Amino acid sequence: MRITLVNVAYLVASLLFVLSLRGLSAQQTARRGNLLGTLGMLLAVAVTLGALVAPENKALAAGPSDLGLLAAAIGVGAVIGAVLAARVAMTSMPELVAVLHSFVGAAAALVGIGSEMNGVRAGGAPEVAHHVEIHAGVFIGAITFTGSVIAFLKLRGTIGSKPLVLPARHALNASMVFACIFLAVAAFRGGEAVRVPYLLVSTGVAGVLGAHLVLAIGGGDMPVVVSLLNSYSGWAASAAGFMLGNDLLIVTGALVGSSGAILSYIMCKAMNRSIWNVVFAGFGEQGGAVPAAKKGEPAKKVNETNIDGAADLLLGAKNVIVVPGYGMAVAQAQHAVKEITTLLERRGTKARYAIHPVAGRLPGHMNVLLAEANVSYEAVKEMEEINEDFEETDVVIVIGANDIVNPSALDDPESPIYGMPVLEVWKAGRVIMLKRGMAAGYAGVDNPLCYLDNTLMLFGDAKASVQKLLNAISARAEQQAA
Amino acid sequence: MVEEVKAGANAVLAAEPASGAQKPGGSAKEAGGEAQVSIGVLKEIEPRERRVAATPASVGRLVKMGLAVILESGAGASAGFEDAAYAEAGARIVPKAADVFREADVITKVRPPGAHPETGEHEADQVRAGQKLISFLWPAQNKELVERLAKRKATVLAMDAVPRITRAQKLDALSAMANVNGYRAVIEAASHYGRLLGGQVTAAGRIKPAQVFIIGAGVAGLAAIGAARALGAMVKAFDTRPVVREQVTSMGAEFVPFEFQGETGEGQGGYAKEVSEAYLAAEQQLIAEHCRTSDIVISTALIPGKKAPELITSGAVVGMHRGSVIVDLAAEQGGNCALTERDRTVERYGVTIVGHTDLTSRMARQASELYAMTIVNLLDEIMGKKKTWELSLDDEIQRGMLVLLDGELKWPPPRPEIRGGAPAPAPKPPAHAHQKPEVPESPWPGRIGTALALAFLAPVGLFGSQELVQHLTVFLLACVVGWHLVWNVTPALHTPLMSVTNAISGIILIGGMLLAANGGGGGAPVAALLGAVAVLLASINVAGGFLVTQRMLRMFRK
Repeated sequence: MRITLVNVAYLVASLLFVLSLRGLSAQQTARRGNLLGTLGMLLAVAVTLGALVAPENKALAAGPSDLGLLAAAIGVGAVIGAVLAARVAMTSMPELVAVLHSFVGAAAALVGIGSEMNGVRAGGAPEVAHHVEIHAGVFIGAITFTGSVIAFLKLRGTIGSKPLVLPARHALNASMVFACIFLAVAAFRGGEAVRVPYLLVSTGVAGVLGAHLVLAIGGGDMPVVVSLLNSYSGWAASAAGFMLGNDLLIVTGALVGSSGAILSYIMCKAMNRSIWNVVFAGFGEQGGAVPAAKKGEPAKKVNETNIDGAADLLLGAKNVIVVPGYGMAVAQAQHAVKEITTLLERRGTKARYAIHPVAGRLPGHMNVLLAEANVSYEAVKEMEEINEDFEETDVVIVIGANDIVNPSALDDPESPIYGMPVLEVWKAGRVIMLKRGMAAGYAGVDNPLCYLDNTLMLFGDAKASVQKLLNAISARAEQQAA
Repeated sequence: MVEEVKAGANAVLAAEPASGAQKPGGSAKEAGGEAQVSIGVLKEIEPRERRVAATPASVGRLVKMGLAVILESGAGASAGFEDAAYAEAGARIVPKAADVFREADVITKVRPPGAHPETGEHEADQVRAGQKLISFLWPAQNKELVERLAKRKATVLAMDAVPRITRAQKLDALSAMANVNGYRAVIEAASHYGRLLGGQVTAAGRIKPAQVFIIGAGVAGLAAIGAARALGAMVKAFDTRPVVREQVTSMGAEFVPFEFQGETGEGQGGYAKEVSEAYLAAEQQLIAEHCRTSDIVISTALIPGKKAPELITSGAVVGMHRGSVIVDLAAEQGGNCALTERDRTVERYGVTIVGHTDLTSRMARQASELYAMTIVNLLDEIMGKKKTWELSLDDEIQRGMLVLLDGELKWPPPRPEIRGGAPAPAPKPPAHAHQKPEVPESPWPGRIGTALALAFLAPVGLFGSQELVQHLTVFLLACVVGWHLVWNVTPALHTPLMSVTNAISGIILIGGMLLAANGGGGGAPVAALLGAVAVLLASINVAGGFLVTQRMLRMFRK
C-alpha cells in the first residue's frame, strides 16, 4: 500500500471523527454521529492492517506471528468490549466510562514504554523532541490510567467518596511532577542502560500522582473528573501520535482532548466553579468545619410522612415535578418513577422531570436513565428551563437527590457548595423527599431542605419506596374510577 | 441629521428658562403660552369606536401632574364614563370638538384623525400650527394623513410606534390593546361555540373540554391562551418564532413548533416577519392539521406594515368540525383566514368565522382605562416634573414615537446604531446609570497563556525538526476544531458524547498495532508484547464505547 494512500485514508478517518462529534451534539443527529465514528475507526484499523501486511517497503512487512498476535488481541478486545457494552446496566454507565478511560491511558503508557524499548534496541542517542514526546506521553497515559481506576472505584463505591486531603498535598503533587521531569532529563543524559528503567520509574511516579489527584476530589465532582479524564485520554493518544509520527493519532487525540476539556468547562460552569477549583480545591475541604460548628445546636425536627400520605399528596396535585438524583440511579427506580408519572398524567396532572446539570455521577446521567425508562424527552426539563416553575408547582418529589436541591447553596456563604445553582424545589407547595436516612449528601453537606415546614421526608430504600408509592397510587386511582 | 441635532439642542435650551421659575413658554418652541399646559380629549368620530383616550381616573392623574384637561362633552359616554365623573376629576367639559382644538395644547385621542362621518370635516384640518397630537397613527399606512398634518405644522406622536424596549413598556398601547383583544377573542368564540369550554363529568353526561388552537403567540395570542385556559379549555398555540415556546408553555398551553429548512419567522424587534412561499405552504399545512382537531381557532398573526399572511386556507376550514369557531384578529389587515369577511360574522362550511375588527371597542371600558394610562405615562415622560412640553430628541422612546415636529417629517426614526456623519453624540449616562458596569475579564490568563505558548513554540522553531513542526501544526489545528465542536451540545447528550469521544480516543489502538507489528521489523520482543496488550485494551475501549453509545442513543426518543 502506498504511504500516501494510507495517509489519505487517515485523513478521511479524522474527518469522520469530526463529523461524529458534531453529530453527537444534537438529538436528531446523534445516532448518525455514532455510526460515523464507528466507520472512521473501522477504516483506520483496516488501513493500518493493510499497511502492515503490505507496506511500501516489502522488507518491513510484518510477520505472520505478529499479525496473528494482533488479530487475536483485536478480536479478544472487541468481544470483551461488546460483552461489557451489552451487559452493563444503564445505572453503571459512569463506572463503565471511567474504566474504559483507564484502558486508553494504560494503552498510551504501554505504547510509550514499548517505543522507548524499540528506540534503545535500535541504538544511537535519542533526539530531544522524541525523548520529550515519549516521556510526556507516558506521563499523561499513566495519570489517565490510575486516575480513571480511582474514579471507577469511587463510582462503584469500593472506596469512599470523601476527598482524601493529605497535608501539603499540593507540594506533594508538584514534587511528583518535578520528579518525572528530573527522571526524563536523567534518562536522556544517562545513556542506554538507564533509559528504560528510568522511564518505568517515572511511569510509576506519574501513576501515583494520577491516583492522588483523583483521590483528593470529592464524589460530588465526579462528573467533571470523568469528563476531565476523557480529555486526558485524548491528550495521551495525541502524545502517542507524536512519538510514532502518526498524524491520525495526533488529530484524533487532539479532537477528543479539546472537546473533552470544553465539556468539563461547560459542566464546571453549571456548578459555578472553576476547573482549578474542582481539581485542586478538594470539594468539602472547607465544609469540614461547618457541621462541627452546628453540632452544638439542638437536633432539628423533620416532618416525616408515609406511603399513603405521599400518594394522597401526589393524587391531589395538579402540577408535579420529579427531581431525580443518584439515589434513583442506584435503586434502578426509573421505571417505577416513570409509571407513577404516567398514572398521574392519565389523571390530568402535569408531570415533568427537572434535571440538574450535575445530577448523578456523569453529566446527562439522569437523561440516559429516563430515556431508558421511555420518558419522553419533552417532559424532561433542564434546570434553567424549569427553575422558575417550582413556585407554581403543587408537589415536588425528590428521589435520591441531595446537594442539587440544597438551599444553602444560595443563602449560606459558609457552605462549601455556596454559589452552585440548584433546583429551587422549596418554592413548591410541598416537597416529598425520598431518602434512605438522614445522612448527608455526597458532598458531605447537611441539607436544610429536610427541615423546612413544607418538606415531608419519606424514609426508606428508593426502589422500595417508589414501588410502594406506585402501588398505592394505582390502587387509589382505580378506587376513584370505580 | 444636522437639523435633528439642532432641534435637539433647541429642546435642551427650552428646558433652561423653565427650570428656574414657573415660567414656561419662554422659548420659541413653546407655542402654548399659558401657565398650564392643557390636554384635550376628543370624542371618537369613527362610528364603531367606543374607546376614549382618557378616563376620570387618568384625568385625576393628569390634574395631579399640574396639567389642565379639556374634554369634549360625551367623549367617554360609549365607554361608560359620564361627563360628570370627568368634571369631578378636574376636567373642563366643552360642548364641541372645535372648542377642544381651539383651546388645548395637546390633543389626545385613540384612532388616527379622520373625516367626520356626518359633517365630513376632517379632524386633521382642525389642528392648529404647533399643536401636539397623540393618537394611534400608523404612519406607514397613512401617508396621506401624515402629509395633511404636516401642512398644519403639527407635532405628532404615534402611539403605535412605541419602541419595544423594557423602559417603554408602560407606554406600550399596542400591547395593552392586544391583551384586551386576545381576551375578547376567546369570549367571542365562546359565545358562538354553543358548548362549555371546560370539561366536566355530570349526571347528564360527560362534557369534553374544548380544544382551542391559537395561531401567533404575541401579546394577543398569549392573552387568548390565558383566557381560554381559565375557561377550562385545552389550548395549543402555534408560532413560527421558536423563542416564544417558553412563553406559551408558561401560560399553560402546548406549543406547536414549526421548522422549515432553517428559516424561522423571527423578525426585528420581536415581531414576526414575512417568509418565503414554500415556507408559507408548509405552515398552512401544519395549521390545517391542527385546525381539524380543534373546536376553536383564534388567529392573531400580523406582520408589521404588511397584509396579514393567509394561514388558514379554505381547505382548512372545510376540514374542521361543524359548529367550530374561528376568530380572526387579523381581519383588519386582510385576515389570516381565507374566508374571513371584515367586520362580519359569517358561517362557512358549518364553521362560524368572526371577522370583527372592533373587539377592543367591545371592551371599551377596560380598553379605555389601559389606553388612558399609557397616555398619562407618555405625558409624564415628556413633561416630567417641569410641567412643560419638552420633547427630548435624544430619548429613544420619544424619538421613536415622533412622526412630525412642527410639521417637519421625523418618521421613521433613525436606527439607533446608524449615526450617520454627525459627530458622535456625547455619552448620556443618566439613561443607563442603573446598569452595573461589567467587570472586565482579567487579562492575565490570556497573557500567561500567550507567554507559555511562545515559551514552548520558540524552542520548537529554533531546534525542532521539520517533522515535529508539521505534527505540531496538525495538532494545534485539531485542538481548535475540537474546541469548536461541542460548545452547543445539549446537556442530555453529555453521556453519549463522552462515551463516543472515549471510543474515539481508542484510536491509540493504531499506535499499539504499529508497535506490535514493528517487533518483526527489528524491534524489541517485549515491546511487541506491550503493543499487543495495548491493542487488546484499546480494542475493548473501541468496541465497548461505540456499542454502549449506540445502546444509549437507541433509548432516546421523543
